[in-house]
Amino acid sequence: MRLTYATKPLRETFGETLVELGAAHKNLIVLDADLNTSSRTVLFKQKYPERFVQCGIAEANLFGVAAGLAAQGYVTFPSTFAAFATRKALDQVYVNIAYPKLDVKIAGSYCGMTATECGPSHNCAEDVAVMRALPHVKVLDPGDNRELASMMHAMMATPGPVYFRVSKVNAPELFSEGHQFQFGRGHLLREGHDLTLLGSGFMTAVALGAAELLDREGISAAVAHLPCIKPMDEELVVNLAKQTGALLTIENHRIYGGLGGAVAEVIAREYPVYVESMGLGDDVFEAAPLQDLLRHYRLTPRAMAERAKALLRRKRHSSAA
Amino acid sequence: MKTLSPEQQLAIADQAFDVRRLCLEFITNAGWGHIGGSFSEAELLATLYGGIMNIDPARPDDPRRDRFILSKAHASPALYATLALRGFFPIDRLYTYCRLEGLDGHTQRGQCPGIEFSGGSLGTGLSFATGLALGLRLADNFTSRVYCLIGDGECNEGQVWEAAMSAAHYRLDNLIAVIDYNKVMAKGKLSDLMGIDPLADKFRAFGWTAIECDGHDLPEICLAFHRAKYLEMNGHPVVVIAHTCKGRGLPEAEFNYHWHTHAPTPSQAEAFLADLNRTYGRQETFSRPLVAPKDGGLEAVVTADLHSGK
Repeated sequence: MRLTYATKPLRETFGETLVELGAAHKNLIVLDADLNTSSRTVLFKQKYPERFVQCGIAEANLFGVAAGLAAQGYVTFPSTFAAFATRKALDQVYVNIAYPKLDVKIAGSYCGMTATECGPSHNCAEDVAVMRALPHVKVLDPGDNRELASMMHAMMATPGPVYFRVSKVNAPELFSEGHQFQFGRGHLLREGHDLTLLGSGFMTAVALGAAELLDREGISAAVAHLPCIKPMDEELVVNLAKQTGALLTIENHRIYGGLGGAVAEVIAREYPVYVESMGLGDDVFEAAPLQDLLRHYRLTPRAMAERAKALLRRKRHSSAA
Repeated sequence: MKTLSPEQQLAIADQAFDVRRLCLEFITNAGWGHIGGSFSEAELLATLYGGIMNIDPARPDDPRRDRFILSKAHASPALYATLALRGFFPIDRLYTYCRLEGLDGHTQRGQCPGIEFSGGSLGTGLSFATGLALGLRLADNFTSRVYCLIGDGECNEGQVWEAAMSAAHYRLDNLIAVIDYNKVMAKGKLSDLMGIDPLADKFRAFGWTAIECDGHDLPEICLAFHRAKYLEMNGHPVVVIAHTCKGRGLPEAEFNYHWHTHAPTPSQAEAFLADLNRTYGRQETFSRPLVAPKDGGLEAVVTADLHSGK
């Protein structure tokens, strides 16, 4: 499967879709904490300055104001780096937004390792884990630009808090025109019977690459994309566990509490098979360009194929025993 | 050092120039970095490290040293360059900026000698500095002072004011906050995005002594710190509000938010060095070749694996 990569980063689609939604929904307000040209909410600011609220470099304030506006019937999109939305303003997000189920759609920009050279203070390998642990919050990690746009339309149509990941990455085009995102739905991208590779966000591209490498060695790997980490597509994940007997996840996130953790929770409860996770361990995403980070933390197709082969040996050993 | 001798003034001015030249060089080669906020603080750092603070590069862990906290940790390039020029670590190390196992984009405590604080999340430095100042008091250390350099936009963060309240409550006159008031945030002018004036009055209302100065005028900076250290030690923490110019020294970057986070191309960097030479009456060249890095990102990594080998 040959992937074509988008010519614009995910964040550009985020900004453009905000403008599109802003035209249709007069109650949509975008809030910023001095990052709008990075997050690309600047596009909305230029089109609808009266519905753009600058909160300054003050993230606790950002989420509090977004909550207050939502309580007045607005749908608010407060946006900042994922690190600040989740690690810095967690209490405001929990108490003022998640707990009262307000209609706040939180865009975590520069998620995972994609703040790159900014280093550990801005790279955020725990946003999914943090948000997934909050009540009432849906947690999303789009795989490509079409999916991100569709996801934003879906969250406008669904009341309640959402956390979704955005980045400056040019993602592979996983889906064709007309792709519809649905909460709680994953997508089988490649059939296979030896084991399953599961990805979220743009890391699904790495899983597809790994499946290709495995195929060259005669190993048949299924690949599924899970853009909705909470609620999880349990049916898809359990069926793949039944069909292939081993699951390997990969994510732009820590291996604790993210996609790998969410899959393991389902599998341990419903149909125990081996689940292994790839992502960041008990470490930080250092400052470096993206290509160097992917290689340094062994989040490449080759590294995933190697890990898949080891997992397959483990699976075969246990079924022979 | 109440007043500066002509020799001292020249040495500090030279250091501020060299900090800018080095920043241009290693930011260009990293393809990333904060020029604006590094250039606005260059004279403040050169003065602090050029005689105001009690520091010894040979003994960076001396318990009697003064502590320096860069709360606006994105402006790390100027601090790294200042520390390297003062001999805390080799100049070569600057070229590891934003490389794996190199100097981080934002300061990381313990990563190299002289870096006391992990920053990057704005608004957090003054609380840390308050803890240090309180700790010195509890340990009966009346020699060391704590200096904390804070960005102006950073004063939007509520935590700055929580710390200001605490430091005044504990009467920490061994704490000197410095505001690099360069008037420009990441995405525009402070006064447009979230104004902080009247800043000196705000600090005074919180129980601080406030001193204002021109943050590029060396005698003025020196006098302000002298007052902060000796004349106004009266049970109140002191803030030096330094009025500065973001991107100072580069006509293209001055007060221009575009150069908050932005790396020049090699040819832009050459033109910038020519600007600096003109502004400061120097004729320096870069010490090593400028090469803009390329990040092929996700596509390069995935494609390379699929096309290498069989």
